[in-house]
Amino acid sequence: MSNLLKGNFTPKKQVQANTQESEDSSLQAEFKKAALNSIGGSMVYVERTDLTWSGDDE
Amino acid sequence: MQDNKLDSSFKKVVAQITDIGKAWHSDDLIINAKNNVEPDQKSLKDLPPLSAAKQQQAIVISAGPSLHKKNQLEKIKASHYQGTIVAIDGSLVKCLKQGIIPDYVLTLDPHPTRMVRWFGDDNFIEHTKNDDYFSRQDLDINFRNNSIAENEANIALINQYAPQIKLIICSSAPKNVVKRAKEAGFQMYWWNPIVDDPQQAQSLTRAIYQINKFPCMNTGGNVGTAAWVFTNAILNIGRIALTGMDLGYHLDTPVEMTQTYYELQEFANSPEEFNAFFPKFTYPATGEVFYTDPTYYWYRHNFLQLLEKAAGETFNCSEAGTLFADNLPCMPLNEYIN
Repeated sequence: MSNLLKGNFTPKKQVQANTQESEDSSLQAEFKKAALNSIGGSMVYVERTDLTWSGDDE
Repeated sequence: MQDNKLDSSFKKVVAQITDIGKAWHSDDLIINAKNNVEPDQKSLKDLPPLSAAKQQQAIVISAGPSLHKKNQLEKIKASHYQGTIVAIDGSLVKCLKQGIIPDYVLTLDPHPTRMVRWFGDDNFIEHTKNDDYFSRQDLDINFRNNSIAENEANIALINQYAPQIKLIICSSAPKNVVKRAKEAGFQMYWWNPIVDDPQQAQSLTRAIYQINKFPCMNTGGNVGTAAWVFTNAILNIGRIALTGMDLGYHLDTPVEMTQTYYELQEFANSPEEFNAFFPKFTYPATGEVFYTDPTYYWYRHNFLQLLEKAAGETFNCSEAGTLFADNLPCMPLNEYIN
């Protein structure tokens, strides 16, 4: 794709891609992840397992 | 509130909780388990047998707001209850202040600075700086006030009674909690959390077990549920009352005081969506209305799922909150005791 979109001229000034938007969205994802960690409570819970495991099958 | 009437955005947040926990905690679980290995440690396998009266029935004392709003500890104290008393870290000081010495106290949370507060924090000023965790919860007013004098009094109280109490301590416990527990003189019995299917070869639970060989318990995601699992599946007590197990908020609790108020704002695109994160439940025994949030709702779901696998009878005697089902009847605490 980058080859297809390549210009057929050379700009006078060097053009920098705008990375602000992607940085913002990754920051937002980070905030969301941190928030979810807090909401996730104090410990992991596993569905469909027994109440205890003694390790006797080791 | 019926589960099928819950808002889709609420359900979406709850569904994500189960997936993130393991990734978040896995490093801490292994590091803390390694840090906590020492020679001659006792585990759940070493617990002495209970007397006949203690084996018959138990009360699990969690730390929800109903504990003080419904004067539950006063009722237990006045009854001269002879059954087993299982408290959690968050309700221990409150029990001791009422003159109730629990037989067992559970601790689970690996948080490096907050949990030690429940045992009296030697580094109180540093740990409470810029952290409003306790002041945002509907707890004992003295805990919310972050008082240095209160912390000092708690240290003395715990030091006085710890040698009479069995601390059921998870291998995930942070260093400062372990240090404080030893200093206070608790009888310590260790266990591991079940954090995935131990039958799988790459299981994290199995990896933790290999470090210390302690028995493993499912926690339901929080220490209150872990205390009930311990009472039911380790102590094998067939008749259990839950108290202080609200998993919800009284209607007069401002939403800003709820445990994840700030975090939930990340998930709402509108005020309506935000409000949907706090569905209401009517406590069947009293008709009183409570509201919950995604975290408490997740705990509630986990508890009811574990209850399906449990033997014996459990009654919710919190007299408040959102935790009830056909197989989890509500009962006033005095009725259960008598």
